Amino acid sequence: MSARTAITVNRDRDEVQRLWSEPGTRPDHIADLDATVTFKEAPGDRGTEIHVDLGPGGRLDAVTKRFTGADPLAKVKDDLRRFKQLVETGEISRSDSTPEGERAERKLGQRPAQPLDDSELQKAGVA
Amino acid sequence: MRANVWSGRNTVQVENVPDPKVLNERDAIVKISSTAICGSDLHLYDGYIPTMKRGDILGHEFMGEVVETGRRVEKLTVGDRVVVPFPIACGNCWSCKHELYSLCENSNPNAGIAEKLFGHPTCGIFGYSHITGGYAGGQAEYARVPFADVGPFKIEDDLTDEQVLFLSDIFPTGYMGADFCDIKGGESIAVFGAGPVGQFAIASAVMLGAEQVIAIDQYDYRLAMARNKAGATDIVDFSKDADIVEQLKLLTGGRGPDAVIDAVGMEAAHGHGALHAADRVKQATRSETDRGHALRDAILACRPGGIVSIIGVYGGLMDKFPMGALMNKGLTIRTGQCHVHRYIKPLYERVRNGDIDPSFVVTHRLGLDLAPDAYETFKHKQDECVKVVLKP
Repeated sequence: MSARTAITVNRDRDEVQRLWSEPGTRPDHIADLDATVTFKEAPGDRGTEIHVDLGPGGRLDAVTKRFTGADPLAKVKDDLRRFKQLVETGEISRSDSTPEGERAERKLGQRPAQPLDDSELQKAGVA
Repeated sequence: MRANVWSGRNTVQVENVPDPKVLNERDAIVKISSTAICGSDLHLYDGYIPTMKRGDILGHEFMGEVVETGRRVEKLTVGDRVVVPFPIACGNCWSCKHELYSLCENSNPNAGIAEKLFGHPTCGIFGYSHITGGYAGGQAEYARVPFADVGPFKIEDDLTDEQVLFLSDIFPTGYMGADFCDIKGGESIAVFGAGPVGQFAIASAVMLGAEQVIAIDQYDYRLAMARNKAGATDIVDFSKDADIVEQLKLLTGGRGPDAVIDAVGMEAAHGHGALHAADRVKQATRSETDRGHALRDAILACRPGGIVSIIGVYGGLMDKFPMGALMNKGLTIRTGQCHVHRYIKPLYERVRNGDIDPSFVVTHRLGLDLAPDAYETFKHKQDECVKVVLKP
């Protein structure tokens, strides 16, 4: 069994495929993996489906690493969400609890929902 | 700045915290002039919504003045007076393009957490736990507002804060509850809960042409407001007679209301003794998050083929859901966090042309520093408290 995930981006396929490899929107984490990525037009004018398959090794990896916070599938999902956010909205969604944007590692280590001070802003790379 | 933060179950305190900054180019910073405590804030206060963290700034009903904008904000300028919808919506995704703003696919940076509990992420919400993004709320002097061209609604006349503040949540939420009921004229509508959202659901059902609007609650001051201010034609006081289903049938000639609106949510107060006790124990031990008497009664009372409109907030799981009644009576359920952006403009026009003055719900006005007292007063229904407005 393999580890797979998918997301739909509300843009046409040519644009999605072009942005997938362009600096600025390229999902670096997925690009570094030995993953199979396929693009497919979504039904009913809903944009483009992106399917990522980590292959047979991915599943085992996912199970063993789930408890270390580095589940590769979770990190792939982060990357897909960030790509969707960048393509659809032009920015990565950030909140006070998650200033770097969606990150699997943040799930257990949330900041409180109150503004960051200057040193925290620098650390999060948003100063 | 000063802000009201959650610091454990049944505790909030006003603290000094850093001022918010623009983190993204589509953000604005709003200096808050008025903010309110919502009934759903009590679910957080009481500790029934998972994923709260000590230090979280509460508050999702607020308005004020734009004091800073990010580089890509085009429709707002510094000095604009705005009301801010509680759902954070990007305006670009498929859901936003279909006016399903509270289902925005991009505004929740804790999507992974939400997906675990709900199957899919839903929108970010100000000051409403980490499952809705972990955004600082508006019970504070300032707030950072993402996607500032999509949410904040400009107020360009001299209506008071109290007349327009509730466009941020409770007026559109109550209105959506009535809108779900497919009112064409002449219907009987029952509204469970005469809190602030219930009041607006009643007023909206009347505005949309319902002939009979029945308010259900256990506090006479809330029922009096429902009748005298919101326009309810009938009331059911379940502190006097707990058999709500039978009373609703009697008020509707045995038919049952054409639609029922649940404006109560997860901490329903009434219920049949044993069932209520079981729910309380399960909720206290966190093996059930949602106490469901209001919704159970709503489903049992609704006329066959009718509509069950759920705008009260639920957080997780409920036991003893009357699925048989729902299925066999062929009921339709409509629900959701309010798509405020969809309703804010038409409802603002209703306020402007005098159809409704939403300030009728306000009973308490306090400084932000008194937020802890205000939460206690509101929670325990002291001093006939219906709605608290805080001034930073």
